[in-house]
Amino acid sequence: MSALRRSSELGLILCRTCGRTHAVSALPPDQRCSRCGTQVVRRIRHSHETTLAWLLTGMILYIPANVLPVMHTSSLLGDADSTILDGILGFWRAGDWDIALLIFIASVAVPLTKFIAIGLLLYTTRAGSHWQLRERAKLYRVVEFIGYWSMLDVIVVALTSTLMQFAVLGTAEPRIGIAFFCAVVVITMLAALSFDPRLIWDVEP
Amino acid sequence: MPPLICRDCDTVYRSVSLRPGDVALCRRCGASLARHYGVTAESGLALAVAAAILFAIANLVPILSIRVAGVETQANIWYAVRSMQEGWISVAALGLALTTFLIPLAQITLLLWVLTFVTLSHRPPVFRQVMTLLHRLRPWSMTEVFLLGALVAVIKLASWVPITVGTGMWALAGLTVVLASLGRCDPSSWWSLESKAPR
Repeated sequence: MSALRRSSELGLILCRTCGRTHAVSALPPDQRCSRCGTQVVRRIRHSHETTLAWLLTGMILYIPANVLPVMHTSSLLGDADSTILDGILGFWRAGDWDIALLIFIASVAVPLTKFIAIGLLLYTTRAGSHWQLRERAKLYRVVEFIGYWSMLDVIVVALTSTLMQFAVLGTAEPRIGIAFFCAVVVITMLAALSFDPRLIWDVEP
Repeated sequence: MPPLICRDCDTVYRSVSLRPGDVALCRRCGASLARHYGVTAESGLALAVAAAILFAIANLVPILSIRVAGVETQANIWYAVRSMQEGWISVAALGLALTTFLIPLAQITLLLWVLTFVTLSHRPPVFRQVMTLLHRLRPWSMTEVFLLGALVAVIKLASWVPITVGTGMWALAGLTVVLASLGRCDPSSWWSLESKAPR
């Protein structure tokens, strides 16, 4: 087994936009990729700071996203505002535990996992930790993959409101909580995209 | 072949040719480095045409509809976006419009553009910009999430009102499959057009 060499040791650098390998010495002074024109950087600039900023913004907005109602329903039985959690409990009580579980995963488990995972990645890379390198690399890829499924509840609320706007039996309308929730999904995705996974490995000689 | 560098940990590898089904994994971090891309530019173009047709159907024919007291209400992606237009709730409308309508539409259009020229072996105008944009848009396309959301909405509403799954839903399901197959194209091979004279 040959030793694993890093690109910097061999004077190489990767353009992460188009995937071309460059010799560092052959890059023009403005460091732009000769193929796609993007600036080639060894690490995403200010990755820690940007990721932390997005992460904190996402966490703050997650509070109104859960506290404020996402939907308003009115029927012969009366009017009601419901939050994301109310929606999940509604499915649960109605016996649709599988749908309750699905929305719980998409709207609660995924965002919380992302907060914890990104926070952990930021903390450990900042501290120069050697702990569980491969597992943390995997954690990053999981965060990247699961991120956008959280949009599920936004879509469910939108479709419910579309179909139930003129219904005689009852109507449903979206409420401001769903806008906060949508913002959380986008912002946590931005947090994951601004984190540079190569930082995890920078502690290795 | 130039050496291969892992996107996730910067480890350098000598390129090897891969057989169908092969995936090259990074020995250091476990990320996927390369794989055998099963979809050629020609079949990619065919898939992009299919995606365009399915996208059109999914947006022109209702995905879901309900009928209460003889009044039918229909839903598709654009109606779902429009239902969130009030005041600050339109932040959600914007997010939904981008991720389930505009970005998938842009992806399909740009893929048609690039793949048509790749098949003809000519470098298209604004090639770099289109390729870079395609790369940037990729994480933000949420067609499959919309499909799952529509299925959840069916179950949610089925106990209240008679709900019908429209042809649009099937088109949306087909679109999800076709877009996933398009993900098996190899954009790095299209880049070879960059060295060709523009047309």
